[in-house]
Amino acid sequence: MATSARGGGEGEAAAGGGGGGGAAAEMEVEAYRRLFPVAYFERHLRESVRLDARPLASPRDTSVALGLVGSADGSALVKFGDTTMVAAIKLEVMTPPAESSDEGSVAVEFYMPPICSPTVRPGRSAEVAPVISKQLSDVIMSSGMINLKDLCLINGKASWIAYLDIYCLNADGSLFDAALVSTVAAFTHLEIPLVSVSDDGRVVTVPGELEGKTKLPLVNKDKRKLMLNNVPFSLTCGLHKEHILVDPTAEEESIIETFVTVVLDTLGRVVSVYKPGGSVLAYTSILKECITLAKRRAQQLRNILNESVSAMEVDKSS
Amino acid sequence: MATTPMTYSPSQGAERRQKQQQMRRMSQELDWKRSDGRSFHQCRPACLQTGATNAASGSAYAEFGATKVIVSVFGPRESKKAMMYSDIGRLNCNVSFTTFATPIRGQGSDNKEYSAMLHKALEGAVILESFPKTTVDVFALVLESGGGDLPVIISCASLALADAGIMMYDLVSSVSVSCFGKNIVIDPTAEEEACQDGSLMIACMPARNEVTQLTLTGQWSTAKTNEAMELCMDACSKLASIMRSCLKKSANLSS
Repeated sequence: MATSARGGGEGEAAAGGGGGGGAAAEMEVEAYRRLFPVAYFERHLRESVRLDARPLASPRDTSVALGLVGSADGSALVKFGDTTMVAAIKLEVMTPPAESSDEGSVAVEFYMPPICSPTVRPGRSAEVAPVISKQLSDVIMSSGMINLKDLCLINGKASWIAYLDIYCLNADGSLFDAALVSTVAAFTHLEIPLVSVSDDGRVVTVPGELEGKTKLPLVNKDKRKLMLNNVPFSLTCGLHKEHILVDPTAEEESIIETFVTVVLDTLGRVVSVYKPGGSVLAYTSILKECITLAKRRAQQLRNILNESVSAMEVDKSS
Repeated sequence: MATTPMTYSPSQGAERRQKQQQMRRMSQELDWKRSDGRSFHQCRPACLQTGATNAASGSAYAEFGATKVIVSVFGPRESKKAMMYSDIGRLNCNVSFTTFATPIRGQGSDNKEYSAMLHKALEGAVILESFPKTTVDVFALVLESGGGDLPVIISCASLALADAGIMMYDLVSSVSVSCFGKNIVIDPTAEEEACQDGSLMIACMPARNEVTQLTLTGQWSTAKTNEAMELCMDACSKLASIMRSCLKKSANLSS
């Protein structure tokens, strides 16, 4: 029965694709897509084309915008096609623990509010959200992107804790990749406020106009920007049969057999590889192919990020 | 992370208190300049857009000054299993805040009553009979809270419902005013809200001239209540016409 349906469906798909099919034909393509998603998907793959008309190895249109959240110290909005992430960093002051008295810390949380997807309901957090939180914080720490010593204010007394909160506004696949780009972009945009210590030992901010006038000693005059060392970028590749699909959408993620996420740093070294289960064995050759694709993607993302930084500087100066 | 150290935001305290006292002193006078240069009876410019997220049946984004809100509408879809059979549809509303919405991290979640208030404001406008046995979910996320959050959420939610094609008697638009001594100030910012003497919020269906929700806090004289209500109703009908033109624009684009 399945084969006969597939045969009929292919006919319809061809009619719809040719542009000659009427409203009825288009309706049936849509129905076929919902009833036999795998067959519909594989029919596309045989022509080396994706459901959204992309070639297999090309990612979606990507955009980065910095500094959209006025109430945060650093923020970024990242779009991969329809997947949208907002990351914001707020700095707070903490007393560092005794064993790392000259270090600050970073707290990462990834949220999937109910607006982002029909499957998330309020009160019950999405299953993948804590997984992505953990992966992000692992990548930030293990890549050595941030030197935690840069977040120290007064040795043993006070250091910054950077609360990084990432909200997924629209979940359409490759969430980890988009979240990581938004993380890097938010840290790039981060501006550390100028602070001094008040008489009672608390850290207080010094507003820009008072910089020369305050009697209190300034603590971090030359540490207003965070140096990012090895910036990590990632690429998720969907594996289906012998095909590799770069930057899959949510619809593709629900169909494909498994995926591999590769994280690379600035020098092209592998920071992490993640393959969550699935039936396709990721052979060495496939893994190598994924890493090559990830390298190309990392370079592309780096360029997009640099462009957004210079765009913001132009905005400021004009 | 067993021993999470106590943390605090360094910008709090003295600076803010000083600002509030300044506001207070100003409000005793008859006339003062609002921090964003508006006159007392002038609303913030409204930026509205439908189709903010495409996973939903309908959605809208609203930006009024520093207040930024996204609302997604899902459904009508199957009600939860635990729900009793119902001849008419259900409206389920939820409002959440991002942790960075407020100047101090994580304070937005104090507004737990907003979900119920949003539900009450929209309930009267939605034709629940048009989707029996099913539920329409209205989810709002406040990206940045810059004052007048609830009125913005309500207006944005009714726009998202319209975008989703849910049948309504009319669009619901909502505006709030703050009272300072003798003065009434429309569409207050968070700074102004923090030191107001009282507030009044109206959600209404301007075309039918019906009020779906009215909340009033603080001390108000009858005369001033009337003045404030008229001010709100007038602003609501203007806001509704902006919302309507926004819907028309998106309908023209898609056709």
